[in-house]
Amino acid sequence: MIEIKNLSKKFQNERAINYKDMRFEDGKSYMLLGASGCGKSTLLNMIAGILSADSGEILIDGVDMLKKTQKEKDKFRIEKIGYIFQDFKLITEMTVMDNINILRLEGVNTSAADDILRRLEMYEKKNKKIKHLSGGERQRVAIARAIVKMPDIILADEPTGNLNFEIGEAVIRQLIEISKGKTLIAVTHDDRLGKYFDCTIDMNSMIGGGENA
Amino acid sequence: MLKFALKNMAIKKVQVILIIISIVLSAGVGVLAFNVSEQVSEGLTNNAGYYSAIIGPSGSATQLAMNTMYFTDEPVGTIPYSLVSELSQDSRVKEVIPFAMADNYNGFSVVGTTPAFLSAKTLAKGRMFTEGEAFEAVVGSTVAELNKLEIGDELYTSHSVGGDKHAHPLKVVGILEESHSGFDKVVFTQIKTIWQAHDHSGEHDEANIGVDLLSAGHTTEEATEQATEDGHGHVTEDGGHGDEEHEDGEHSHTSNTVCAILVKTLNPTYAMSIVNEYNGKVYMHGEDSYSLQAIEPMDTMRGVLEETDNTKYIVFVLCAIILIMNIIIISIITLLNMYHSAKEISLMRLIGISMKKINMLYLIQNSLIGLVSTALAFGISRACLVLMSDYVESMGAVLNLSKVYPLEWVILFAVFLISVIPTVICTVSMSKKDGINN
Repeated sequence: MIEIKNLSKKFQNERAINYKDMRFEDGKSYMLLGASGCGKSTLLNMIAGILSADSGEILIDGVDMLKKTQKEKDKFRIEKIGYIFQDFKLITEMTVMDNINILRLEGVNTSAADDILRRLEMYEKKNKKIKHLSGGERQRVAIARAIVKMPDIILADEPTGNLNFEIGEAVIRQLIEISKGKTLIAVTHDDRLGKYFDCTIDMNSMIGGGENA
Repeated sequence: MLKFALKNMAIKKVQVILIIISIVLSAGVGVLAFNVSEQVSEGLTNNAGYYSAIIGPSGSATQLAMNTMYFTDEPVGTIPYSLVSELSQDSRVKEVIPFAMADNYNGFSVVGTTPAFLSAKTLAKGRMFTEGEAFEAVVGSTVAELNKLEIGDELYTSHSVGGDKHAHPLKVVGILEESHSGFDKVVFTQIKTIWQAHDHSGEHDEANIGVDLLSAGHTTEEATEQATEDGHGHVTEDGGHGDEEHEDGEHSHTSNTVCAILVKTLNPTYAMSIVNEYNGKVYMHGEDSYSLQAIEPMDTMRGVLEETDNTKYIVFVLCAIILIMNIIIISIITLLNMYHSAKEISLMRLIGISMKKINMLYLIQNSLIGLVSTALAFGISRACLVLMSDYVESMGAVLNLSKVYPLEWVILFAVFLISVIPTVICTVSMSKKDGINN
């Protein structure tokens, strides 16, 4: 379970975001919906240990992420969190498999890659370079990389942001399908995709206090 | 890690190739320049150390040393052969070897001496010429190869390339094994062959002007000048023949001349005393006087090398400049490379790859580049040694391709470090930042 308590983050322009308390249950999928700049991606980055907070707590199974050192956060991220980025964060000159196998640098077992790529209908293109893939295909590779290490938590930051609705919808369906049994938190601005998630949170209402559940 | 590093390098092949070329050029030039200069110095000095002293006519000490040991340049002049007999009787002397360079065979020098002069050389075919006989020849490997000479063949020498040949041929009795030295390009014969060849050639009178000058202790240049003025085309160092002391074409040794006398003494102190005794001495032979010079060849060659030290210094300065320029170039290329890699590093940090692993990855990449480059630089420097060996041999030194000096390893290691240090600086600097901010 992930719990957000009294969390606030101040940016360099002195603008501060104060989050209401939130709770994300294990094995459920959540869609964070909200206007641009309302702090959706910032929240994901803080949960992933990429950004630090100024105050508050992010408890994951009772352990406060914010009290971990950067090294511990990195270790937690590589072991427990699968992160899907809006701009994919793939090395375009490398192949699909190379982009997945990069995780081996940290000792991650990627033997499930073939199976996951089959489920995402990307197996045939596993030896193609990323630069030769379409946006939808790239996003599916990013999902495969996030899923291959069998993480407990999957964080997806605008996974359909660079895709048209039809492709985006297909990617979300595959993401939901492949993430079953895991905690999925996806940030999106497209409320039409809400029907695929167990729970939708309007982040516009989560800034300034309160609790989502 | 290694596999991924190789893949990552393959992506950036243009930058990698640029870095490798840059390193190969700097390290290759540095190592080659150092190796050649050291081997040439050592080779020339070591060759020179084979004899304790060389006695010849007064003139250039360098010319005397270079002519007798490396067969380069013209002989300085001539001195009477009787001096050989005198030195042989000297209790300080272990061995005396006469040396006369005269004539040529198809452009290759003909040297008259004794078998002792070739004692350190190995015969590939045949036997050594017999000391008491004349008109036998042992030829260098290049001479034999280029002229397709075999044992039993006859060769005709002449005063000058393309000039009239002597009437009496030399019979090839031996062929030297290739030694990658000046010995490969010389025809060796008994000293008396040189003297007798001119008696039988019928060119006696033609050579007289030069002969007379040389007999009187003059140098080759003076003789040539005189010969030219008088319309004579060539000069011989054989100053003894054609004069009053031979009967029926047979010389007595007392009237013949040599270009130099190579002396091995019983110990180095004796060499010094012989040099002191004979250097500058005026030697009387009959009515003729000969002004002598005596040198310790190793000292002479060291002196020559010291004089050329400026060139060596310039080579080192140039190498240093190339190395410094390459430090700058390699650093810039690496920094640009790392700058372009910042996005990639940020990406890896975001998906959870630790900075330690990223540092390791780039360190492996640049170490591989450094290793490949320095290995290539070393290989190319050896290949250049092969290409340069003929030229260096003409200077009298043999390049040993397997010879590697400790400083060469130091240069290669320094270049390797140059290729790795900028990466370490970059990755350490990036380590200090949070992943998402890189």
